[in-house]
Amino acid sequence: MSQEEKIKEELLKKFNYLEGSVNIIRPRRMSIEVSLDNFMPVFAYLAKELELTHLCTITGLDEQERLGFIYHLTGESRVMVNLKTSVAKANPLIKTVTSYFPGAEIYERELEDLFGAKVEGLPQGNRYPLTDDWPVDQFPLRKDWKPALDTEQGVDKNA
Amino acid sequence: MLGELFYIFIFPGFVFLINFAWIAEFIDRKIYARLQNRVGPPWFQPVADFIKLLSKEDIVPAASNPKMFKIAPLFALASAITAFFYIPLWKADALFSFNGDVIVVLYLLTLPTLAFFIGGWYSTSLYSRIGSVRSLMQLFAYEVPLFMGILSSALLADTWSLREIAVFYTSHPYVWMFNLLGFAIALVSLLGKLEKVPFDIPEAETEVVAGGFTEYSGRMLAFLRMTLDVEMIVGSALLALVFFPFGLNLHPVIGFLIFIIKILFIISLISLLRTVVARLRMDQMINFCWKYLVPLALLQLLFNLTMKGMFFR
Amino acid sequence: MHNSKDFKIPIGPQHPALKEPEGFSVALKGEKILGVDIRLGYNHRGIEKAAEERTYIQDIYLIERVCGICSHSHSTCFIQAVEEIAGLAVPRRALYIRTIIGELERIHSHLLWLGVAGHEIGFDTLLMYSWRDREVVMDILASITGNRVNYGMNTIGGVRRDISPEQSQEILIALDILEERTKYYIEVATQESTIIKRLSGVGILSREDVLRLDAVGPTARASGVKRDVRADDPYAAYGELEFKVITDERCDVYGRTVVRVKELMESYKIIRQALKNLPDGPIAIKAPRKIPAGEALSRYEAPRGEDVHYVRANGTEKPDRVKVRAPTLANIQAVKHMLRDRYLADMPIVIAAIDPCFSCTDRLIALKEQESATGKIISWPALHAYSLEWYKKQGIDFTALNKKLSAKGLTG
Repeated sequence: MSQEEKIKEELLKKFNYLEGSVNIIRPRRMSIEVSLDNFMPVFAYLAKELELTHLCTITGLDEQERLGFIYHLTGESRVMVNLKTSVAKANPLIKTVTSYFPGAEIYERELEDLFGAKVEGLPQGNRYPLTDDWPVDQFPLRKDWKPALDTEQGVDKNA
Repeated sequence: MLGELFYIFIFPGFVFLINFAWIAEFIDRKIYARLQNRVGPPWFQPVADFIKLLSKEDIVPAASNPKMFKIAPLFALASAITAFFYIPLWKADALFSFNGDVIVVLYLLTLPTLAFFIGGWYSTSLYSRIGSVRSLMQLFAYEVPLFMGILSSALLADTWSLREIAVFYTSHPYVWMFNLLGFAIALVSLLGKLEKVPFDIPEAETEVVAGGFTEYSGRMLAFLRMTLDVEMIVGSALLALVFFPFGLNLHPVIGFLIFIIKILFIISLISLLRTVVARLRMDQMINFCWKYLVPLALLQLLFNLTMKGMFFR
Repeated sequence: MHNSKDFKIPIGPQHPALKEPEGFSVALKGEKILGVDIRLGYNHRGIEKAAEERTYIQDIYLIERVCGICSHSHSTCFIQAVEEIAGLAVPRRALYIRTIIGELERIHSHLLWLGVAGHEIGFDTLLMYSWRDREVVMDILASITGNRVNYGMNTIGGVRRDISPEQSQEILIALDILEERTKYYIEVATQESTIIKRLSGVGILSREDVLRLDAVGPTARASGVKRDVRADDPYAAYGELEFKVITDERCDVYGRTVVRVKELMESYKIIRQALKNLPDGPIAIKAPRKIPAGEALSRYEAPRGEDVHYVRANGTEKPDRVKVRAPTLANIQAVKHMLRDRYLADMPIVIAAIDPCFSCTDRLIALKEQESATGKIISWPALHAYSLEWYKKQGIDFTALNKKLSAKGLTG
């Protein structure tokens, strides 16, 4: 049995509500979709029990009404698991994973700055990557955000 | 009187010294560049740098103590030049001489470091402060081996006067070879005094920008750089006299040529050393000076005392 | 401020130790570092957002400019994801050429790093030597791709330029020169005592810390963690080539140096194999303009570590989302940890030891000058006028001079 199938089987054994949402895309690539309520136990199980010890990054997604988050986990088994969850845009509150991966701090800050996610339990710190005087209600990677164009006087012809 | 003034201001005093300092800086930079596979600067680069700096604006930081800030570079340059007048160059005689002048010269060479500290400290910039504290810390590391190295040679000659050291070694040729270990120690310590790699800790640009010199600009920076160049010449001249005291009783022209060769030899050694090593850390430098240089200097002193007891009573 | 016992010293955003703007605020006690506060984001350019508004072909060139040094890494990583979504079977020859360029890039990046590391510890001779030798590989890259950086080799479905037999001869000759030089550097690094003194025991990052802080690339491998995407998740031609993953147990900056220098030797081996086994055939296949909906995650071992790109396509000719995670971002957390309780003198080399590339790390955000929370935009003429006004207040008036010059027809 391949590593991917083993992970799938163990996951389904432990969490029966994952039935149908665990996919093996290709060798070494898996995707799992999980609701926000069930996210933390699944994440903890993957990180601790299945020894996916390396959190590559967290991708933020804008899906109209919801914000999606993909946690890219991998480990010794060399299988990359994309754990996806999502949250309503109206109240984008997610929990921090820094207790499992302290290195995730910077990825979560990025989600806060660029998508306007609220990460619960993230320690105080500098913003990343936006400037300190960036308006708090502007989230550049949301689809409805457009860079303001220089319409006032047009492009300077001498420049 | 007029002769003395000529000596002080023209030759081999101020004008000669400054020009020689420029040439020395050029040679140092050129050798350094060639050893690193670079083309290196043209011969007039040090002069051009100096003139350019003179024409730049002098910026005095608002938070600094302007008096101390401005006085430090001049003080440093003046003391480095003064030291030069006590050193016999190509004959066994100097402009000024008295018993104990070797100590005076060594302390005159310490004064620029103190001036760098004062200038850096009163700039009140963070980098300057760290840099100036570092240069003072470094002083305590290299000063002792430098003194011991140079005094070991004086000890053999049984005098504290540079002129008499010259006279002694002229009448006892080849005795200077006893002091080669002392020369190596003094040369390494001199690198610390000149703040060159591996001891350029006070002005390590990747850590403290330019250390005590960070806030300096224009004329004052020109004087500070000039001080380092002059210090290099004076230090090398002192080392040349104390450790290579030959050719001092020859015809002045030949003596002068030998003097130039000796200085250039020491400068090339300095360039070579700073090409082949990396910068040490402060704690490593202090360790190195006290653990290796000082015991070696003591060994040289012991050797010279024995020699003196056996042959030069 | 009048005692030096405990104060904060800014290293950056502009500082001689940093080649790119990043802010480190270091709390010092004497020479000792009590803590470091890192502020990133000065190089934020809005590339992820910009990528959503351009076509895939345009994006290749945009993504290539995420970083100057590992440009091929980013563009390969991006197109790998796109090709996976589109289900394109890239010709093997193209994969081999990508591998060769990728390894040449690694050589050029590691030699660059070696020089920078030398400079940070005040050993400028090493900088001059290794950068001179780096010219050899830069010339090779220029002759194959036409560019010294930002090679523009990749296209969706293959590569844009072939490697001719003469060029592969050229590469082999260059490799011989480089190999000989690298052996010399290994000798220097293992024998020169001031280098060993300055590098060993500095910036300790234990195996546990690597796993905890998610460090990648040579930083992780120097702590004995066998983490190399080329072996873990083979892409391009790496699955068919034989090479060793270099690790080291020293866990310090010296270990990172050794890993990088030894990796150079592995790179030469990989390129030789790839050139020998270079398959025949086309170098590219035709790719559709519109990529079908789907998503893919692509990993690539850049010279600095694992580079991760996530691409989501929505069936149009523009991507729906492009996420870039450059290796430095994964390593920056480790720097904080490595600097604790070290000396200020170690700071530059510890930062340099992860081979930071801050322009990779920061991406996004388009042009919008913020003057207040409402976001007022200053146009170029307004800014120009403002600067003239500002200088007038300082007592420097350019108006008369400007008139004089324009009378002579010297300005626009």
